[in-house]
Amino acid sequence: MKVLDRKLLRELRSTGFLLLAVGSIMAIGVSAYNALGSAYRNLTIAQRLYYADCRMADFSLDLKKAPLADVAVIAQLPGVVEIRPRIQFFATVDLENVVEPINGIVISMPNERRQVIDDIVLRQGGYFTDRRDNEVILNDAFARANKIYPGMWIHLLLNNRRQELFVVGTAISSEFTYLVGPGSFVPDAKRLGVFYVKQTFAEEVFDFQGACNQVLGRLAPSVRDRPEEVLRRAEILLDSYGVLAAVPLRDQPSNRFLSNEIMGLRAFGVINPAIFLAVAALVLNVLMSRLAEQQRVVVGTLKALGYSRGAIFWHFLKFGLAVGAFSGLAGCALGYWLAGGMTAMYDTFFEFPNLENRFYPDLTVKGLAIGLACGMLGSFHGARQVLQLEPAVAMRPKPPADGGAILLERWPALWRRLSFPARMALRNVFRSRLRTAAGIFAAAMGATLSVDALLLAFETSYMVDFQFELIQRSDIDLTFKDEQSREAWDEARRLPGVDHAEPLFDVSCTFTHGSHSRKGGITGILPGATLMIPRDTEGRPLRIPESGLLLTRKMAQLLHVRVGDEIELRPTKGLRESRRVRVAEIADSFLGVAVYADIHFLSTLMNEELAVTGVQLKVRTDGSYRKDLFREIKQLPAVQAVSVRADIIRSVRETLVQNQHVFIGLLVMFAGVIFFGSVLNSSLVSLQERQREVATLRVLGYGPWQVGSLFLRESVLTNGIGTLVGLPLGYLLNYGIVVAYDTEMFRIPLIDPTQVWFIVIGLGAAFGLAAHLVVQRSIHRMDWLDALKTRE
Amino acid sequence: MLGRSPRRRRRRALAESYSTGNHRRVEPRCLSFDLRPLACCEESNILSQAESRASASSVLLRLENVGKTYHMGEVSVNVLRHVALEIRDRQVLAILGPSGSGKSTLLNIIGGLDSVSEGRVWYRDREMTAFSPRELTTYRREIVGFVFQFYNLVPNLTARENVMVSTEISRRPLDVEEALRLVGLSDRAEHFPSQMSGGEQQRVSIARALAKNPELLLCDEPTGALDYDTGKRVLRLLVDACRKLGKTVVIITHNAAIAQVADHVIRLRSGEIVEAHDNPDPAPPEEITW
Ligand SMILES: Nc1ncnc2c1ncn2[C@@H]1O[C@H](COP(=O)(O)OP(=O)(O)O)[C@@H](O)[C@H]1O
Ligand SMILES: [Mg+2]
Repeated sequence: MKVLDRKLLRELRSTGFLLLAVGSIMAIGVSAYNALGSAYRNLTIAQRLYYADCRMADFSLDLKKAPLADVAVIAQLPGVVEIRPRIQFFATVDLENVVEPINGIVISMPNERRQVIDDIVLRQGGYFTDRRDNEVILNDAFARANKIYPGMWIHLLLNNRRQELFVVGTAISSEFTYLVGPGSFVPDAKRLGVFYVKQTFAEEVFDFQGACNQVLGRLAPSVRDRPEEVLRRAEILLDSYGVLAAVPLRDQPSNRFLSNEIMGLRAFGVINPAIFLAVAALVLNVLMSRLAEQQRVVVGTLKALGYSRGAIFWHFLKFGLAVGAFSGLAGCALGYWLAGGMTAMYDTFFEFPNLENRFYPDLTVKGLAIGLACGMLGSFHGARQVLQLEPAVAMRPKPPADGGAILLERWPALWRRLSFPARMALRNVFRSRLRTAAGIFAAAMGATLSVDALLLAFETSYMVDFQFELIQRSDIDLTFKDEQSREAWDEARRLPGVDHAEPLFDVSCTFTHGSHSRKGGITGILPGATLMIPRDTEGRPLRIPESGLLLTRKMAQLLHVRVGDEIELRPTKGLRESRRVRVAEIADSFLGVAVYADIHFLSTLMNEELAVTGVQLKVRTDGSYRKDLFREIKQLPAVQAVSVRADIIRSVRETLVQNQHVFIGLLVMFAGVIFFGSVLNSSLVSLQERQREVATLRVLGYGPWQVGSLFLRESVLTNGIGTLVGLPLGYLLNYGIVVAYDTEMFRIPLIDPTQVWFIVIGLGAAFGLAAHLVVQRSIHRMDWLDALKTRE
Repeated sequence: MLGRSPRRRRRRALAESYSTGNHRRVEPRCLSFDLRPLACCEESNILSQAESRASASSVLLRLENVGKTYHMGEVSVNVLRHVALEIRDRQVLAILGPSGSGKSTLLNIIGGLDSVSEGRVWYRDREMTAFSPRELTTYRREIVGFVFQFYNLVPNLTARENVMVSTEISRRPLDVEEALRLVGLSDRAEHFPSQMSGGEQQRVSIARALAKNPELLLCDEPTGALDYDTGKRVLRLLVDACRKLGKTVVIITHNAAIAQVADHVIRLRSGEIVEAHDNPDPAPPEEITW
């Protein structure tokens, strides 16, 4: 090994804490890159393989009922490669030992095993046999959650008849990678199951001989990216059978959620590492400039001895490269581990056949390269500074540090009022500009990250509270299969334990205004309803007009309508006659494209006296009625789905909130590393630079704590300014994310950041103080007499 | 023993004569640098011409009307004025002068560390003042050895490693162990600078300069930071480098007594040479006092 490399190694070793401070920030940057990148690829690969395995449909058409012979025309459409008609129904499930009703999706499968679109992957047991007609394959998560195994019998309420089914196996399918039930947005394996039954069984039970109510299709690769044309033509072809929905893969709920998550990973995989690496490069710069300063005589000597500029530059650059290589490797290892954790977490709410954390050699190589590049960038300035030193400096003693007045001193009225330590701190902060800039930048980024992370956390829980405390106030929601009359409402009101019941009337329809058209739905609610209170973004109840519609702003924008305009709506069910109706009100709401109307107005519009598609219940709190209530609900033939608010809230909290807390905890921890590392770095560098000064102070009778307090003042100043700068930046970043997520589905509420700001100030102070304790320890241990004796 | 190269034997002989304190003047022929033409263009230029002149002329360096002005904002300081000087092969030159008289500046110019504002400097028959930065680096690497007032050892390297800093970039280095033996520090090879006295550090610094096997040894107040006895020892090493190894040695000092060991003495005052004389009978360092 070259002797200069030995010097380098020894220097690296003796730099200790400083290196750790810089290295950990850089390592976290690389690990964020690696972890998010790996998780992104894990999910993408798993998704691709799974979709290919199951032959995931590129589109689906929901119909009321259509003969198989007539849907075959869809296969002839240009771009359509293959179709699969199937029967799909909702059902309520009655499990022994489970009081609450369970929702089920019943899907027909070929009697004999063969490859179909949206196929299943068997997990336990086997496929249907010839032994009986009433065999069922359950989705695996549901079976596991409810402890149902092949060989057991279960009961389903299908088409108003109680059916007994024999479980032959469990399976998963890519169309339910992310399986959520009505009224929820997180999976609840216990309360929602998928039941695959034989084609012949489904035909018989639902009276669907030779018919289907859903068509799945696969498209040629050339049109896969733009399925709209195919769907439009399919809708026209099948119009007479009532197209309830035409959904391209892009909008398929499970796929949309998964793809959103994957896209988010990619976006964060760029932003977060970039922040860390920028901070790391800057902090390393401070360290390297110090090193260059410290080694001016060594550099001069090397030059005098005949070392070329290039050789010396390279020597100093290697320091940064070594830090970069080390951090890069550590970051990759940490990243791999984090990716494992993230992937395991994804595995809890995405159902994949094998979602595994793979090792990506190229990501490791790239991570290492990023580390090296960052190290090089961080040491470039210092190394160049070295080059600018004249070789003759080796001959001269070090000039005294450039003193002189700082800007603030030109304002004597203020300056004179400051205490001596405050003046010293200010002078130092202003004189070492690079260090101050790096400290402020690092603290600002740390604050930005934590403000953003905490705001997202608060916003999520605000959103959950808003939805389940303010808007949806019922305990149990019943959804009916078809439109019911007033009697259904009355019947629900008489159920045991029910205090209060309110009807809902949902109409799914196509809205048209000029050339703008969209599928959607109108929710008709009772005037003065108390169990469902649509609200604006301020939390104020929306005033439902007596006549006309209330549109949320997003929907109004999509249709380009203003208050007073008339829009055309055509129901997707029933007679499907077009009607014109006035937009009476437009309001902001977190729930994207909702449209509301008075239930009486809507019923009249649909030529009904009072139509009901769902009932919301408020039940007594004592709970003694529960068994009776649920038993009766399970027997209601008209009920298609039941949602229990407490269950939904529980599953939301369990999955969404809990997982988010892990993410946020990590992010805050990472931000802490930035605060800690940057304060540690800048204080230790400052301490090294001013050893002589510290020694002199000690001779004058200053204690170690008093000396420490001088350094603390500087840290507080830079860290404090940085944090203050970071607070609005974090809010801005959050604002950007909120705007980016302003999708049709929902909007993230912006919340008042004051509370979060205080928390982040506290965090910055805590991490900064922790770093200062390390510095204080160095001050205590410093051999200051020695510092007085030795020359620089 | 048979396998040993003549070169190595020669060095060996050198080292022995050195350590035994044998004052016999070694034949210049066998001590002169083996400066064969080198592959690299500019280096070969410097060096091949150096070689061709080595025996012919005894003038190693010539300064013609050299001036140096430092500009600091509006003020400019004339540090050197009209300096004319010839440095001959294998002599000890002492530069005397009070602090601030421009001695170090002069030495830096000679050593290729600093540029002139005026005049020209010749190394053999090559104009140094016209050297490119790369040529200057080669000049420093191959021709010059520096000994600093404050030793300037690399703190993180041991004595041996500090010498290796020189040998690793040099074309024809001495053996590291031999260089250390020359200065009598073989037993301290593993010590770090912080574990050595000033005199020992200065000897490592001399070993580092000698290990490159340079033609010219430039010493800026080499005894300035040392006590009396140690100073004398170091002086002895430097004089021997000239007398036994055939180096040209330039010693800067503000101490007139030290000048007694030199073959030639110049005196600087306010950047001008105010006196120059030959010293036909230099005193051995042991006999002078200050
Ligand atoms: N880089 C420089 N910039 C400005 N002035 C300098 C510089 N180097 C040396 N000087 C000045 O030049 C004069 C001579 O310096 P120097 O050669 O170091 O003197 P000596 O070595 O004889 O003490 C001094 O007055 C010194 O202040
Ligand atoms: Mg000097």
